[in-house]
Amino acid sequence: MMDSECLSLLPAVCLVLADPKQSPPDDTSLEKLLDWFKALHSQSNGQVLLQHQPCLLEFISSVCTSKTTDPAILSFTLNLTGLLAATTQGFHLLDEGGLLACVFEREAWGVCDLWEDASVRSGWLQGLLNMLKHQQALDFMCGNGLIKVILQLQNDRSLFVACLANQLLVHILNFLTSSNMTNESDVVGSSESSLRPDCVLVSSEIMNAVVEVLSSEDHPQVLQGLRLLSLVLSQCGEPIRSTLWKDVLVPLEVLVNRGSESLIQTLITVLEAAVRTPLLSQSEHKVEELLEAMLGDGNRKECFQCAALIVKLEKCPEVLKRKAMDIIMFPLQCVSTQPQAEKEINVVLKEQLSQKASCISLLMQSLSSLAQLAHAKYLFEDISIHSITSSVVLLLRMCSGHCPSSLLHINTFTHLIGCCKVQRCGLDTLGALSVYEENLDLRMNVFGVLLDYLQSPDSHATVLKKTFQAVKRWIVCSPFPDLLQFISHDLFPVLEKRMCDLRWEVRDSTLEFITQLTAALNDNSGFTEALHTSGMVSVLLSSLADAEGYVRASAVAAVREAVTASFHQTVLVSNSKLLEEALVQMMAILSQDTEGFPRRAVVQTFTSWLKGSHLVTALESSLSSVLSLGGNDFDWEVKMHTLELAEVLMEKTLTCCPYAVQNFGSSEETRFTQALIKFKDFGLFDLLFNSLFDCDRPVCERACALLVKLRTLTAETADLDHSVLVLNVCGNRWGDEVQRRYLNKQQAKASVCVTNGVTGSDDGMDCGLYCIKDISLPKILQILDLDDMQRMLMLSSDHVVNSPRSLMEDILSAAQQSEENIVDCY
Amino acid sequence: MPDIKITPLGAGQDVGRSCILVSIGGKNIMLDCGMHMGYNDDRRFPDFSYITQNGRLTEFLDCVIISHFHLDHCGALPYMSEMVGYDGPIYMTHPTKAICPILLEDFRKITVDKKGETNFFTSQMIKDCMKKVVPLNLHQTVQVDEELEIKAYYAGHVLGAAMVQIKVGLESVVYTGDYNMTPDRHLGAAWIDKCRPDILISESTYATTIRDSKRCRERDFLKKVHETVERGGKVLIPVFALGRAQELCILLETFWERMNLKAPIYFSTGLTEKANHYYKLFITWTNQKIRKTFVQRNMFEFKHIKAFDRSYADNPGPMVVFATPGMLHAGQSLQIFKKWAGNEKNMVIMPGYCVQGTVGHKILNGQKKLEMEGRATLDVKLQVEYMSFSAHADAKGIMQLIRMAEPRNMLLVHGEAKKMEFLKDKIEQEFSISCYMPANGETTTIVTNPSVPVDISLNLLKREMALGGPLPDAKRPRTMHGTLIMKDNSLRLVSPEQALKELGLSEHQLRFTCRVQLHDPHSDTDTLGRIYTHLKSVLKSYSIQHVPDGTVIVESIVIKVTSSAEEPNLKVILLSWSYQDEELGSFLSTLLKKGLPS
Repeated sequence: MMDSECLSLLPAVCLVLADPKQSPPDDTSLEKLLDWFKALHSQSNGQVLLQHQPCLLEFISSVCTSKTTDPAILSFTLNLTGLLAATTQGFHLLDEGGLLACVFEREAWGVCDLWEDASVRSGWLQGLLNMLKHQQALDFMCGNGLIKVILQLQNDRSLFVACLANQLLVHILNFLTSSNMTNESDVVGSSESSLRPDCVLVSSEIMNAVVEVLSSEDHPQVLQGLRLLSLVLSQCGEPIRSTLWKDVLVPLEVLVNRGSESLIQTLITVLEAAVRTPLLSQSEHKVEELLEAMLGDGNRKECFQCAALIVKLEKCPEVLKRKAMDIIMFPLQCVSTQPQAEKEINVVLKEQLSQKASCISLLMQSLSSLAQLAHAKYLFEDISIHSITSSVVLLLRMCSGHCPSSLLHINTFTHLIGCCKVQRCGLDTLGALSVYEENLDLRMNVFGVLLDYLQSPDSHATVLKKTFQAVKRWIVCSPFPDLLQFISHDLFPVLEKRMCDLRWEVRDSTLEFITQLTAALNDNSGFTEALHTSGMVSVLLSSLADAEGYVRASAVAAVREAVTASFHQTVLVSNSKLLEEALVQMMAILSQDTEGFPRRAVVQTFTSWLKGSHLVTALESSLSSVLSLGGNDFDWEVKMHTLELAEVLMEKTLTCCPYAVQNFGSSEETRFTQALIKFKDFGLFDLLFNSLFDCDRPVCERACALLVKLRTLTAETADLDHSVLVLNVCGNRWGDEVQRRYLNKQQAKASVCVTNGVTGSDDGMDCGLYCIKDISLPKILQILDLDDMQRMLMLSSDHVVNSPRSLMEDILSAAQQSEENIVDCY
Repeated sequence: MPDIKITPLGAGQDVGRSCILVSIGGKNIMLDCGMHMGYNDDRRFPDFSYITQNGRLTEFLDCVIISHFHLDHCGALPYMSEMVGYDGPIYMTHPTKAICPILLEDFRKITVDKKGETNFFTSQMIKDCMKKVVPLNLHQTVQVDEELEIKAYYAGHVLGAAMVQIKVGLESVVYTGDYNMTPDRHLGAAWIDKCRPDILISESTYATTIRDSKRCRERDFLKKVHETVERGGKVLIPVFALGRAQELCILLETFWERMNLKAPIYFSTGLTEKANHYYKLFITWTNQKIRKTFVQRNMFEFKHIKAFDRSYADNPGPMVVFATPGMLHAGQSLQIFKKWAGNEKNMVIMPGYCVQGTVGHKILNGQKKLEMEGRATLDVKLQVEYMSFSAHADAKGIMQLIRMAEPRNMLLVHGEAKKMEFLKDKIEQEFSISCYMPANGETTTIVTNPSVPVDISLNLLKREMALGGPLPDAKRPRTMHGTLIMKDNSLRLVSPEQALKELGLSEHQLRFTCRVQLHDPHSDTDTLGRIYTHLKSVLKSYSIQHVPDGTVIVESIVIKVTSSAEEPNLKVILLSWSYQDEELGSFLSTLLKKGLPS
């Protein structure tokens, strides 16, 4: 339903917007207003709106006649008009008296220079795009010669306008087929003749324009033409797709053969779109030939993307695929080994490999293509995975300054030393190659080079991060027993060193790596033992005092995993000591750390430990402090995590708690009462009630949900002993609020009593007003109107009020404000 | 011709979010990567699909440079690097690298709290993004790769803000980010070398404004706070954690000290320590006064400003509270506002811009009744003040920067179109340089004339010196002839002989010939003699030879005379000259066509 209050504000808003003396409202307001109209339209209230709101027609007409309109307002109007004309009724209302033609008459805006503003051209296109939902809209566009203007805008100087024009053209072509083709909508080979004659005219106009543009010498025009072509290929159906393809094939071949460097990328996008269509499988459409031509003699560095495209094709002639694979492999082989057969075709590539910038770029393309293939676990046919991996390992070695003497003559070696770009890319590829079992025997080589990177003082922080990722992938993929030696003797000492790195980025990545590794291998007793016996744990503990907040948070996570892993294993002697030490330090972080991340991590750690059943008793002594500190934190996310901890605690205790319910013989009620007493001792209620009145909505919402849950449980438990669950409501914030509400309720009751002349009530409470210090939990849960609070919290707006009414009020009040508040940065 | 291309994806004729693409010498650089806080959907981020459709930003961009920590300049960075995907280097100054994640984190917390909010970055993404950042020092040239270098300059505005010079070969661009040409309470003024960039990309927020002095605004602020406190009212100043808050704290602290005021001043818990920690850490980035007095007294250790507890809001009596967030849209500042709004003795001072939809925006527009949760109405009776302390260069400041850097072209961003138009005219008139102001999505192309360095051979130099004339001087360009050899990516100017020798080529001479007919009754020999005499009188400074074999020679020009037996009076004069004497040869042929003096 439309908000009637909004509609009552609409005439005033229209007046403000149409007033040329008013400066347009905040730049986002108009877009948000359009969003509202769009929402109305999608609820198919468009026509109703225009009929019942004559102010809209008046607004559009007054903007059209004014020559001093602000471009932003005009753009908005064009957009809106299109939206309102998207229904046939709306269209007719606007078309009567020629208003629609007046709005979209391009010349009119040219006269007063408004057309010069890109936002006006953009609004014009967007308006037409909005409108084109019915045949009359298309007839209107054709009848007024608008297709020509759209085609001109395809080459607009604004990237945004040109892109929008292309979208509109595709929309038109799609509209032509959707309104005509009902039976054969996506049949390749259905011809253009199946379209209505007037539609053929429109589609021919557009398609001829594309052909013309692609045959022209004007580079930016060709580029836009190619962009349109790829959009048509990916978004249009038949017969448009194959008709256009047939028409553009000749100029396309010319462009491909010419191989202009600046067009390559866009040509590839066209071919990428083409191979995803049925055109690929039909020889007369020559998609394969174009791919082959694009690949050329493999002598251009731009042919890599084409090669990557070909390799991934399912159906493709073997020869072509092999050629493409050769191209992808060439730079890598050329640098790391001698290519098996010197191929003449690669003379130019070889030349490029001898220059630093192009060498790096070629290698990166080669490596990232390989990584992509490896991610999909591509089956390499003519070349062994083994040799690919060896080449990557060798390349990485060269990047860190080690080169086998047999390759010293290759001058690319010097380009590669310390080159972070190639290192990062190579490490990604090496990581991806870990999925192939054929590589198992290369593991030691791989770990060797990765270890070198971890040890090297020259390794950049981003390179080290990639190294960690690769190490993790290889460790996880490898059979484990052989690796223990490597981990404890080689890896751990390096990690310990890296945790003392001067760069926080490195320390943090190291800790993140340890956390991930520990989590991934937590069922591996060998690893856990190595972690504990190597002294790694004490380094982790000392990282809890790192100078950088991010690092402390990562250290908390690493310690959490180390503790969890140790408890998964048969009890180690050091277990309880480690936990003890960890708890002391973590509590210190929670109470003293100035950064939010470490404090958040501590609370999350408790939640994670509590979820696992091993640690429950050990944590009991700290829980009340965590709940109290976390609940009073000034970072609301810490509070949220604390409430999550509270929820887990509640669930654990109330369902199958191993420690709260020790009297197996006792009744359900007694167990529940005991659990509640436990919560009280932990300070859980203080946390929940305090959070309920927090200044941050998410905290209140979460606390409220937990309290509702508690209330349901207490209500369900008939014989609950209220006397043992009495809470003191004096001297704390939430208590004051409870008392206030309590008194309010009593007051209300008293007034009811007076009116009814009754002096007693069902629950035995007097109607007289009095203040109490102690109230039982179930009573408090009743006093607080939790359902109402929850409803309010749900209703409560986002931080930024998004209602259309608020938006309109803002537009109106901004118009009344004479003083302009200078726009500023945030 | 080489060119520089500049395309704003944001900040082109608007003050939304800055994101400017620069293409220079085959390198692509993204300047700032800001977000628009006024939207809560994809529109808040720049549309990176315009850069590259396949999402491979790492391949396309050589680096990203962030000018300062404001979210309209860095807010989309984690989205770009971690969600769209960019692995290349990101440059920003040390303070920006330290403070940026705090603001991003702050904003993330506000955003993710919204209902149904998706497609937003996480804490982990902010951290991963910051790990890709390479910190910059002022005035230190950083080599991004072999060809591309960048250098940061002090920009004022906020702690750590920098202008940056980008250089590829001899082409260069300077991007100012936001800057301030006048020092304020805690920061100094922007400064740059006379680096004569091909183009200077400048913000133009206050393009048409000559702002009243900051002192006036400060006095006004203090007066308003003082008056409110004196009449027993409470003052709420909603601020963001870092930046303006520190400046206002220094202002109030000094005023309180001077006036011996007793009313308490509070600051939202937790933020003061963190913010002050950074100001202390980056003391070198503050202004001279703060740096000088730092040893005796740290300006960021406040005596009068205490940590705030939410229970204080109900305390009776006057007080001043700085609370976050700055747009009154959530948390503590909104909670305090709700408590104090009903009392006309109280005041709220909005020191920054508020986006549409926030309570801050509403009250600045004069709305007196606000609908809060559950449709309860809040009456706004307290006094509402807007005081912009933002530190941008005004029109005068922008002109001052142009004078400092002496750019060859100018491009305006981060401003409103109409105001830019005004400044553009002013710049073009005063400096006679082209000034551009592209809208978002529009590309401005500047053609550059790079000078190409060439090695010159010692022999050629010696020969040139032997011919006399002044010694070579870098400041006085002069013409020199030689042969340019382009080989192995190097350019060398050598003497023609040396070039022939080096390249193993034999010399070919190119000569022009021309026939001139004239009627002369004398014999051929006499005609030649008359030509000789005539030329001697016309070309006084040339050496002219009359060679016995029947030729006259001037420089390389050879002149001969022939006539036919049938028409002995019609003489045909043959002229031939080499390429170097083209000018003289043409002159002589024209001269002889006019005939010989009788």
